[in-house]
Amino acid sequence: MQKKLPHVCPSCSSALNVQSLICSNCETIVSGNFSLPLLAQFTPEEQTFIIDFVKSSGSLKVMAQKLDLSYPSVRNLLDDLIVKIEANEKTTDSK
Amino acid sequence: MKKWLFNPFVFIASWQALGFGLLLMAVTCVIAFFSKTHFDGVIDIHFGTSFPFWMAVFEQFNIWIISIILFYTTGLILSKSKIRLINIAGTLALARAPMLVPAIIGFAPILHRLPTANNLAGIALWSLALVLFSIWMIALMYNAFTISCNLKGSKAIVGFIISIILAEIISKVIVQQVYHHFLSK
Repeated sequence: MQKKLPHVCPSCSSALNVQSLICSNCETIVSGNFSLPLLAQFTPEEQTFIIDFVKSSGSLKVMAQKLDLSYPSVRNLLDDLIVKIEANEKTTDSK
Repeated sequence: MKKWLFNPFVFIASWQALGFGLLLMAVTCVIAFFSKTHFDGVIDIHFGTSFPFWMAVFEQFNIWIISIILFYTTGLILSKSKIRLINIAGTLALARAPMLVPAIIGFAPILHRLPTANNLAGIALWSLALVLFSIWMIALMYNAFTISCNLKGSKAIVGFIISIILAEIISKVIVQQVYHHFLSK
């Protein structure tokens, strides 16, 4: 069963940070307060889109064929991701 | 199924939509010529006098091109995304597909003698059908505009309303001028 990584607080909807990481080899635990990487803050569907986009060498035409969507639909998905990335970057810069 | 009826542009746009759209517009031209159906405005349908075939073609393409100009311009002003003209042209061509049915409905004799017709039920039924297909076309045009220009919310609604009103006015003025200068004799 693949678990989804939560990145938004279910209580107050703020961004979640990482408090501890564990090494699966030697069971060392690293504790602190780490921000989630930008890409981990996206939904699984958005992450899949980004990965597929990179694998298609940035071709929207190939993405449209793969997703069975029209070119402007894929273009709009990409533009919406760009807006989200820029909003995340602004939030990170302001902290 | 619902998505394909009201927003096929999620799946088909650009050259494919243009191809299908132009084909359906061409068929509509031919049927409109024989059924004496006029499309003198973006959302207008009239039934009446005969006209030359070139006028049927002109009316369809006048509406389509004026719509492209207005919606593309509005998209450039309101949208932050890069807009491709082929997407607007293709989706708007396909959005006119429902008008094929009113062109066919134009064969109903009662629609050509409205001033003297007394079959109110018949007139009401045909009018309802025309209104429904017009609404379907307007819904398609709205989705064509929002998908091609990546607009949402109030920007999309206001932009669409202003564009369609202007397109209606401009296309009617152009058709009226063409009738006046080339067909009034």
